[in-house]
Amino acid sequence: MNRNFAISFGLHTLLVIITAMSLPFLAKKPIDLPPIISVELIQITEKTNIPFAPKAKKIIEKVKEKEKKLVSEQAPPKKIKKQKPNTVPLPDKKIEKIKKIKDEKQNPEKVETEIKQISEFEKKELFDTNSIAALIDKSKTESAETNKKLDKVTQDQDKEMDFGGLTLSEEDALKAQIFGCWSIPLGLPFNEDLLVRIKLQLKPDGSIIKTEILDHARMNKPGQAFYKVLAESALRAIKLCQPLRVPSKGYERWKDMQLNFDAREMLEG
Amino acid sequence: MLFRYLFILLVLLPIKAFALIEVDITRGNLNPLPVAVSPLSIDNKSKENFKKILKHDNLGSEISIIVENNLRQSGLFNPLNKEAFLQEPDIANLKPRFEDWNLIKAQALVTGKVTFIDEKLRVEFRLWDVLAGKEMMALAFTTVPSNWRRVGHIITDKVYERLTGEKGYFDTRIIYIAEEGPKTNRIKKLAIMDQDGFNNKFLTLGNELVLTPRFSPTNQMVTYLSYFRNLPRVYLLDIETGMQEVVGDFPGMTFAPRFSPDGKKIIMSFAKDGNSDIYTMDLENRIVERITNHPSIDTSPSYSPDGKGITFNSDRSGYQQIYVMESNGKNVKRISFGNGLYGTPVWSPRGDLIAFTKLHKGKFYIGVMRTDGSGERLLTENFYQEAPSWSPNGRVLIFYRETKTNSKGEGFSAKLWSIDLTGYNEKMVETETDASDPSWSSLLGN
Amino acid sequence: MNLSKILKNAFLIILASLVLTACATKKTSTTGQIQGDVYTGTDSVKYLASGVPDRVFFGTNETVLTTASRETLRKQAAWLRKNSDINVVLEGHADERGTREYNLALGERRANSAKDYLMTYGISSDRISVLSYGKERPVDSGSSPLAWSKNRRSVTVKAN
Repeated sequence: MNRNFAISFGLHTLLVIITAMSLPFLAKKPIDLPPIISVELIQITEKTNIPFAPKAKKIIEKVKEKEKKLVSEQAPPKKIKKQKPNTVPLPDKKIEKIKKIKDEKQNPEKVETEIKQISEFEKKELFDTNSIAALIDKSKTESAETNKKLDKVTQDQDKEMDFGGLTLSEEDALKAQIFGCWSIPLGLPFNEDLLVRIKLQLKPDGSIIKTEILDHARMNKPGQAFYKVLAESALRAIKLCQPLRVPSKGYERWKDMQLNFDAREMLEG
Repeated sequence: MLFRYLFILLVLLPIKAFALIEVDITRGNLNPLPVAVSPLSIDNKSKENFKKILKHDNLGSEISIIVENNLRQSGLFNPLNKEAFLQEPDIANLKPRFEDWNLIKAQALVTGKVTFIDEKLRVEFRLWDVLAGKEMMALAFTTVPSNWRRVGHIITDKVYERLTGEKGYFDTRIIYIAEEGPKTNRIKKLAIMDQDGFNNKFLTLGNELVLTPRFSPTNQMVTYLSYFRNLPRVYLLDIETGMQEVVGDFPGMTFAPRFSPDGKKIIMSFAKDGNSDIYTMDLENRIVERITNHPSIDTSPSYSPDGKGITFNSDRSGYQQIYVMESNGKNVKRISFGNGLYGTPVWSPRGDLIAFTKLHKGKFYIGVMRTDGSGERLLTENFYQEAPSWSPNGRVLIFYRETKTNSKGEGFSAKLWSIDLTGYNEKMVETETDASDPSWSSLLGN
Repeated sequence: MNLSKILKNAFLIILASLVLTACATKKTSTTGQIQGDVYTGTDSVKYLASGVPDRVFFGTNETVLTTASRETLRKQAAWLRKNSDINVVLEGHADERGTREYNLALGERRANSAKDYLMTYGISSDRISVLSYGKERPVDSGSSPLAWSKNRRSVTVKAN
């Protein structure tokens, strides 16, 4: 009994000494403060205008350097239309090149977002990587369809049209409006495909002329009753939100619109 | 080469159509859907007749209240305040003025009519999409006046199904153990009630201990454990006649009984010489079959809805865990592997999940996992709770909770609780007395 | 790192560990009636005859007999040999910390452990029947380790 006590006492003392000697080290360790990120408040106007801060200028210069390489490999935007014949026969190769470049750019995430901002600001001057991204995505979805001939046509259509989409602020405004109108049915199974795509035809004031549910056949499929419910909730959201928050100009570009209602993010969270 | 390009150029240049703008809507609100449930219209003559028979002033109003409460309890709908309704029930049923209902922000509207005809109760109801301004559903049915509460539940089931895509669970009953008295000597009785707590009835007197009741698939019979004459055995009870009979002639304690999905067999545990194994007995030919044969405790069996599989509780690994096997006892596989003890496995009527009770570090949990044991999700934690039972649509779990006693041994209570599969809408189910061991029936209409 | 700082830290650590050990000792003193998770007290014990306790106790989730339990059962066996016309029912129980049906099985297993032991001392199985109450009949309605240990038991009851 005494022996055990002595061993225990000895070990405890040893522990105390070790801790005492190491504590001061812990106390002295400096606390890592996260670097201060400056946030600029941006006014959302019809067209997004980012104040040309000196930091942004530096980054733009940097990106321009990077872009120069890109621009020289492909024809500058203004010349695209003319050079279409050169690039059309090799759509796949081009996409691969673009993908590679896009991937390289994705590694420094910060740069990616800045490119986006810059592209808004200097749309006409720089090669719009956004539109390339859109191009890739479109071609992906298009390739899912069986009609290959159409692929080439739509790709070219897109290239002409990359300057016709909604601006970031226009899209945000519309999204915010519809987010507020959409009552997501609570009873949906969260492990199923919860995407409803609705095509709209709009009047200049944002009211709806016509709605069309893509995947209409799915509405009556057995076992997919929740899809009908989901689609109806999306239609209700659109109706509730009339007139939609549409841009005041450029009716031609947004009179046909597609809204992709995806409930998965809300239900999975 | 050049020709090809020029051709394409010529073909494509004239196309100046704009690409389709796509906007991704990934957020919305998860609020219960605002629904207006208008009192069902009823003519004066019918009103008089029903008042005579059922002693209710306005049956149209009463039925709509049932629908309203059911929808609210589900957690998926928000029935709006009737005070704000502008249209009268009889007009609303024929042609609702959607602007009126839109004004109070209703997105769906339920209207209907009740008539007393040929000594029977006839109901017709309609479900309207207020925003689209059109009828979504219209149904009519006839029944005996005493079934008026079921009418409310059936309407709710139809509305629920149309608005969520899933079958409802409102025209159902719950069987449970009603308990009273001190913890050291509880009086327990078999009790049955509508899923909304009404029409409560006691099926035994409380003279002997009764536990763990289960409905037959047709909801006509109940199987349970009774300590009649101090001999714990599995019994069958006919709800209509009240007749009880012991199941089989086992030389030892039988317990944890369930019906097979086809209603032909009782599956249960039989304890002999310190070992509990799972057995079935055919109710018709009385043939007994042994399903598990292992020195460990095997209990709490539960069939898959197609009758091909059984999930059960066994301590063959040293501690209580959940296993699945084929209905003939072959291919036993363990599916619970988390930290803690697992018990009371119940297979969902949808076949996709198994609900269970888990005990870990002194806390009890109600959870679900897939039938291969993956995707374990704990829904609620408590000092003491157990024995989940599924609603017939596999969306809601009912279980029971006990509270601690204080140092004097007082304050003990047991109550039924329910929770949605998503973990939301956790609430107590009101019962006259304390309650435990709940079991949900299938839809009564079937 | 100067000496005063080391001493100050050492002092704090010693103080902290003393507090901890103090807590530890406090704990053990109130559970003197439990040894190795098995109840060893006599509060709830009744007697079949003078010097013959009517029950044995078990550890959490355990169904094995302790030395003390075996001693009790030997006394019961002796008493049963002397009173050969008495039959008994062994009632097995469990504490509340488990699911209801599993506890029924556990209680039965505990009662059966006791029965087997009685049989090794010459008591015929015809005279012993086994029953389980799971967690339905606790002797102590509290929710503490002491209460639970009193409830984990197999009780020998005269059947006639």
